Amino acid sequence: MVIDDVIKFFQEIPPFQFLEARELRSIAEKVSMEFYPKGTVILRQDDPASDALRVIKKGGVKVSVRSEDGQEVIIDHRGEGDTFGLMSLIGKDEKQKTTVIAIEDTICYLMKKSQVLPVIETNPAFTEYFLQFHFSKYVDKTSRDMHAKSLFYGSSDHLLFTTPVGDIATKDVVTVTQDASIQEAAQEMSRNRISSLIIVDDNGLPVGIVTDRDLREKVVSRGRDVTDMVKDIMTLPMIRVDVKDYCFEAVLKMIKHNIHHILVIKDGRLKGVLTNHDLMMLQGTSPLSFAKDLESQQSVEGLVPVSTKINRVVGLLLKEGAKASNITKIIAELNDRLVRKVLEIAEAKFGKPPVPYCWISFGSEGRKEQTFKTDQDNAIIHGDTDSPALADQAKRYFAAFSLFVRDGLVRCGFPHCPADYMASNPRWCQPLSVWKQYFTSWVHTPNPEAVLRSLIFFDFRMLHGDERLAAELRSHLGSILKGQNIFLAQMAGVVIKNRPPLGFFKKFIVEKDGEHKNELNLKFRGIGPLVDIVRLFALESGVSETSTLERIEAMKGKHPSIDSSGDELAQAFEFITLLRIHHQVEQIEKGEEPDNFINPTRLSNLEKRILKESFQVISLLQDGLSDQYGPGMVGG
Amino acid sequence: MFGLLTRNSADLNACGIDDRTLVSECRYVVLDTELTGLEVKKDSIVSIGAVAMTGGSIHIGETFYRLVSPETEMRGSSVVVHGITPSEVADKPSIAQTMDELLKFCEGSVVVGHFLSLDLKFLNKEMKRLSGREFPGPAVDTFRIHEWIREHDGSFSTHYNGMVRDTDLFTMAKRYHIQVSAAHNALMDAFVTAQLFQRFLSFLPSLGVPTVKDLLRIGKP
Repeated sequence: MVIDDVIKFFQEIPPFQFLEARELRSIAEKVSMEFYPKGTVILRQDDPASDALRVIKKGGVKVSVRSEDGQEVIIDHRGEGDTFGLMSLIGKDEKQKTTVIAIEDTICYLMKKSQVLPVIETNPAFTEYFLQFHFSKYVDKTSRDMHAKSLFYGSSDHLLFTTPVGDIATKDVVTVTQDASIQEAAQEMSRNRISSLIIVDDNGLPVGIVTDRDLREKVVSRGRDVTDMVKDIMTLPMIRVDVKDYCFEAVLKMIKHNIHHILVIKDGRLKGVLTNHDLMMLQGTSPLSFAKDLESQQSVEGLVPVSTKINRVVGLLLKEGAKASNITKIIAELNDRLVRKVLEIAEAKFGKPPVPYCWISFGSEGRKEQTFKTDQDNAIIHGDTDSPALADQAKRYFAAFSLFVRDGLVRCGFPHCPADYMASNPRWCQPLSVWKQYFTSWVHTPNPEAVLRSLIFFDFRMLHGDERLAAELRSHLGSILKGQNIFLAQMAGVVIKNRPPLGFFKKFIVEKDGEHKNELNLKFRGIGPLVDIVRLFALESGVSETSTLERIEAMKGKHPSIDSSGDELAQAFEFITLLRIHHQVEQIEKGEEPDNFINPTRLSNLEKRILKESFQVISLLQDGLSDQYGPGMVGG
Repeated sequence: MFGLLTRNSADLNACGIDDRTLVSECRYVVLDTELTGLEVKKDSIVSIGAVAMTGGSIHIGETFYRLVSPETEMRGSSVVVHGITPSEVADKPSIAQTMDELLKFCEGSVVVGHFLSLDLKFLNKEMKRLSGREFPGPAVDTFRIHEWIREHDGSFSTHYNGMVRDTDLFTMAKRYHIQVSAAHNALMDAFVTAQLFQRFLSFLPSLGVPTVKDLLRIGKP
């Protein structure tokens, strides 16, 4: 009766939705319900920490913190289905860190720490959700959400629960002795590019740890003398885990003690250090045995059955909880191998090419961001020759060669490019000198068509053949772009035109009618604008990487916008991509043709919020571009 | 003998509640009964529902719900209201056993109800018959509290853009944005009443009703 409504409510909300009915009921029985009229201060910063987790049943709150200069800064709004006071359940903070105020009449369900903790502690899905929330914020967790919904969940392939700490901990521990100065310690850390350092006594036994955070909080911010002894700022006592402990236990300790580094001990001796980062990396790799299958094929016919397996791998990876970037990377790797194999088969059929050539791919293939098999986007750069006869021979050779490859790829499941961006189109099968002219003319005469071409071709990546040809074209591009602000402004104009579908009051903008009424296109309205912005930044800062995440990584320290929002941008990209892949896998499993349209109302509260945040990151950067290129920027 | 006010205070002490207890910290049991009809002499209790609160916090899992085999005949007119049929309650425990359990559930609490005087009349009748005493404990009526707020204060009214003159539980619930799922089940009605009381409670301390003593003064049934 009363309680059934509560259970029904919790069934819709992560992490409670992961619980079994029986557990859910036992939690619901301990829940209490409170009402806060609009304006009520529910929690106040610096008060004793709340001993309850609150789930908003109705209404909304704002979460704020008071900065050091006394200003209230709103850090979040939470609405129905969201929680607050989460960390109070597992953390050890004694004081409330934020202020929470009801912005409308709000009803919350409360769970007291003492009552609910036993249930949480015995429930891996629940615990893991909280852990994820804590150390990797949203992105990884959402893959975990999806993971949770799959049949695989609950089986023993849970990495956090099955991987011993010793397997992933950093093994070469960098140490200094107790008489080292702060500066010496910091130098040691920089030299080894590490975020923590162990201080050992004369017997080599660890006595303390110094992390980036210590340097920030205890030295730089207090203007402390760097010739002071490092042991004065080190942290004691050190929290440790055994090499044989499961990663999960390490995470629990890290959260409990609010630390990001933990010592790994074997037989009483220091064996390594485990960091947050190591734990996040744990969710990546997956061995792919059938790449071998691909290698052993000698004909296009033989490749066809192998290529159909690629789609199935995606579903599997998703169910294993792989990150989106890892999934697309693996797809790219498999597709690359497939294309290379077709090229090798073609080379065997047509004989050695008269001049060296390089097969390039561009678009999403160039960025290694394909989800399922997409259109072919490829071209040939071949060597120049002074001999007209040889040039003619090359022309004929590559014409036949590229047709064969095109058709072979079609049979392996890569459809024709509708815009004919394929090597089989003579326009896109040219010697290096012509490619250089193409690029030069697009940059120097940035009319709309040229900008459009640039968006597609500038993401080119060499896939097979003579890599010097591609490298030379890339460096040519770098040199002609220098100082080409008009071109970049034109490109910026195109980039900011495609706004993410987020309206006033942060509501999703969906299609008004047609086949996809009430849906939004994740690829064109989400991933597209993000990729375009990052490409523009990459061209501005002259980095040669073509994949979005690699571009972001490479631009750190080189591009101010990336320095300020690179991480958010990368997370947004991961999240939208993951959402898209998940949607497509679902369609494929239902026997439908995969597309990019999702209905945002079908997302969980959590997913909705992350998607909104992701769109906001893009919007903000677009606004930045408008300011940067100013009124002189005319769209394409 | 005693007036209601003194009776309430005496009950407070008898059940171990300090009358200086803050309304935001006191334990309450919000109660509702379904009856065979409205005449105390002819009718009797069919079901009792109650939910516990501490201050404004409703304890969802701490509820009490019993069907009672009625002492008097069930009448068609009331069956329509509460939906409990004679055959459903025929084999249920008698009021004597249920009353013991209810008293236990109400221990140390202020009893709260909407038009509680009616429920109390029936509970008292049964209590007297069973033990010769009245139903114990301090009690407040949400209908009375609502009346008092309407006469004494503007802030509640401002918050909700006015107050209702209707006294019916469900009209009030609707007016103050309380979700009602299944009406006229004693437990669900108690739960709605609890939420109504919860709305009032969040305003009372600022209206000069900080302690249980004050609450009993404005809310006597």
